[in-house]
Amino acid sequence: MLRTDRLTLAYGSSDVVHELSLTIPAGEISCLVGPNGSGKSTLLKGLAGLIAPRQGEVLLEGQPLSLWSRNELALRLAMLPQKPIVPESILVRDLVALGRFPHRKWWQRDGREDREACQQAMYMTGVEALAERPVTSLSGGQQQRVWIAMALAQQTDILLLDEPTTYLDWGYQLEVLELLVELNKSRGLTVIMSLHDLNQAAQFADHVMVLENGQIEAAGTPGQVITETLLARVFRVRGVVSLNAEGRPFCMGHGTSDPDRPCRA
Amino acid sequence: MVANTREPHKKPLLQRTTILLWFGCGLIFLTPWLGLQFGATDLSWQQVLAGLLGEGSSHVERVVMDLRLPRTLIGLVIGIHFALSGWLLQLITRNPLAEAGILGISGGASLVAVAAFVVGDWIQSGDNPYGGIPFALQYLPLLAMLGGLLAALAVYGLSLRNGGLSPVKLTLTGAVLAGMLHALTTGGLAFWGHAHTELVAQWLAGSLYGTTWAHLKALLPWTALGMIGVLILLRPLSAMQLEDEQARSLGLHLNRWRAIALVVAALMAASAVGIVGPVGFIGLLVPHISRRLAGSGLLVQCLMCTALGATLAVVADTLGRTIFAPYELPVGVVSAALGVPFFLYLLSRQP
Repeated sequence: MLRTDRLTLAYGSSDVVHELSLTIPAGEISCLVGPNGSGKSTLLKGLAGLIAPRQGEVLLEGQPLSLWSRNELALRLAMLPQKPIVPESILVRDLVALGRFPHRKWWQRDGREDREACQQAMYMTGVEALAERPVTSLSGGQQQRVWIAMALAQQTDILLLDEPTTYLDWGYQLEVLELLVELNKSRGLTVIMSLHDLNQAAQFADHVMVLENGQIEAAGTPGQVITETLLARVFRVRGVVSLNAEGRPFCMGHGTSDPDRPCRA
Repeated sequence: MVANTREPHKKPLLQRTTILLWFGCGLIFLTPWLGLQFGATDLSWQQVLAGLLGEGSSHVERVVMDLRLPRTLIGLVIGIHFALSGWLLQLITRNPLAEAGILGISGGASLVAVAAFVVGDWIQSGDNPYGGIPFALQYLPLLAMLGGLLAALAVYGLSLRNGGLSPVKLTLTGAVLAGMLHALTTGGLAFWGHAHTELVAQWLAGSLYGTTWAHLKALLPWTALGMIGVLILLRPLSAMQLEDEQARSLGLHLNRWRAIALVVAALMAASAVGIVGPVGFIGLLVPHISRRLAGSGLLVQCLMCTALGATLAVVADTLGRTIFAPYELPVGVVSAALGVPFFLYLLSRQP
């Protein structure tokens, strides 16, 4: 349902994503991985329609995003940036309620339907008990759950997340990823996220896309994509890929693969 | 999941919204009374009442109805103008230091207003040295508004790039333009070097001196327009508190609404500047104080801004008239002297 056709995204004169064609499988969890600066964030913004393509298209249900109105798009597609700004002293329930924005015209106030959607979103993410707390008083993991609750209140069938685990402690990282898997299973939510950690991508994704220099290097199931050659070629890591108990790949890095790398010690 | 609280729970000063709103209502109705009762000559409350009902002596009636009532009402209105304008600007630039002065809006309004003084003086400089001033005063609100609006649009246009508008760029451009406009205004004034430079200097300090019913009439349509604008903007503003990209992904036409908010803020600030001159601190302080008191609800925040802005302006003007009577301190100076300590106190409470 969401795909790109020879998509080129650029800031100023330099292409960040170059003639990239990919299809996001509906109802699955897709992970974008790749080294720093490979264009993950830019691609996610392009997929969310936040950057106009220089060339090519992003198509939602066969329609280029440029033909969708901003509001229609917001009813189909929610986006969570890497480090969202928490408005000063806002309460959890008020932040979650912002997810209802596209469902109302500017003269309308939130109705029963909106309150129910927010209630449900907070229930699913386990933040109902925090509803009356200021968001800034919460821990990083709780805050991330609140942001996800806001995106859920938007009631879209596609959710894009830019490195949702980056600023979190390990336990909270897993908590957020488990929550996304749960939502994907129970509601058929299509999740597209960029992740830094290859092992997390391997463990939680149905579909992995490896991005390097704005190009897709490899795409497929974690088992197909995450190999020792990929580690060496894309991440410059010499390592071993084995399978864990669930049959998902698991990487262990032993060092950099680049023999010419000067020793700085 | 274990609910853990690492940071202390920050609560608004007064928690009950209703208490807060009654308090605001009380202030907005009670403080004008101070403005009526106190001044160069203090009246008793019976005298004020008699003056208002048209039963007082002709002297009392003149003081209450012709001098103090219009002045107090204009104080209320300009307080609201500056406070709401600052509140809007701080929201859309996401910068707690933003207000009409820093973004060049007051500067644009002042420059055009001073130019009007000079031109007015030049046109009617004949036998009567004060001939030009009424000419300038007559058109001042409209001209100042034009200047403020032009400055706001210039800031907006200059900070647009690649179809995007960053709050940081908006603030920086505004600050730079404000500096330039201020230099031009001061330069123009020095160059003019006329007998009524003094009058203009007083106006530039932000003073309610000599305001009349005519000024109030010129101001009220813009008050109504601005308040309607703010109400319309409430919902888009709630989304504008988020990061730009997130706001847009919620379906908000960000640049369009930001431009509308900027125009509303510019109209409110510049129309007030046209009457009383640039009063800086109300627009800076009142939104902060209101946010601290009201918490995150935007409607409560802007009602609080309305009440506190009006109150601060009237109290400041009343004090300015009485402390060194018969000399007057401009409202801009007193409101800064009153507001800053409270502001610092609030800042010190912030974790």
